[in-house]
Order: sequence, then C-alpha cells, then structure tokens
Amino acid sequence: MDSFSSPSAGSSPKLSTDDLMGQLKVQLAQAYAEEFLETVRGKCFEKCITKPGSSLSGSESSCISRCVDRYIEATGIIGRALFNAQR
Amino acid sequence: MENSPEFQQLITQEREKAMVNEMIAKLTTVCWDKCITGTPGSKFSSSESSCLTNCAQRYMDMSLIIMKRFQNMQ
Repeated sequence: MDSFSSPSAGSSPKLSTDDLMGQLKVQLAQAYAEEFLETVRGKCFEKCITKPGSSLSGSESSCISRCVDRYIEATGIIGRALFNAQR
Repeated sequence: MENSPEFQQLITQEREKAMVNEMIAKLTTVCWDKCITGTPGSKFSSSESSCLTNCAQRYMDMSLIIMKRFQNMQ
C-alpha cells in the first residue's frame, strides 16, 4: 500500500497534514499492536506451557485464553492506576 | 508544510501519547511478573488487582526518588 505514489506524471503532490498524521497514527497503532502481541505471547507461553508436549492440551488452550484476557485487563488496571495517581 | 508549527505540535502530541503507551506497556510486563504468580484464572483475585495498582503507583514513587537523588548528585 503505497500512499506516496503520485497519480499524475508531474511533480508528486505533497501529502496534506491530515494525510501524514493519519498515516503516522496507523503506523504507531500497528507497531504498538505488534509489540503488545509479542509481549502477550511471551508471558502466556511462560505461564501456560510449562512442559511442551506433542500438541496443545485442552487445559493449555484454556489457560492461554484466560491469560490473554487477564493480560489485557492488567494493562487497563495499570493505565488507570497511572492516571489516578496524577492529582 | 512539515515545518509548520501546527504539524510540529501534532507530532509532539503523538510522541507524548506513544511515550505514555510505552510506559503502560512496560509497567504491565513488570507488574504482571510481580503480581500474577500462579496460573491465570477467569478473573483476578482482589489481591492480584490491588497488587497491580500498587505496583504501578509504587514504581512511579520510586521513579521520583531516583530522579531527585540523581539531581542531587549533579
């Protein structure tokens, strides 16, 4: 997806501030999501898969689901704790 | 256009938001390790959730002490 490509043959039009900010926010959100997923993978593997077997057991799968939910919840708790502390 | 004050301010705002998100993400990994000691359940116990809150706030308290001490050494 190349938003910088020009539709015309002349000099490429500059992106508006809105376009640039829009792209920036999308990039930031994607980077943040990837980092978040990487963290959750690490934490939940650590918590739920103590002895890797030849396939994921039912309890390992449900542990992983709960772990993802709890980690997301923990992120919310931490976020609120930080902003309630600023009085 | 990229040098306009408006654009610079928008960039500054996004940088600040990114820094806040990074702080939250980092604190969550640290406090998860400290507070969620067993297997994750279908909800947090009250001691787990207060641990998480306390962890974040004590970390910020500590940050302030460290900064002040460091400044005293300058």
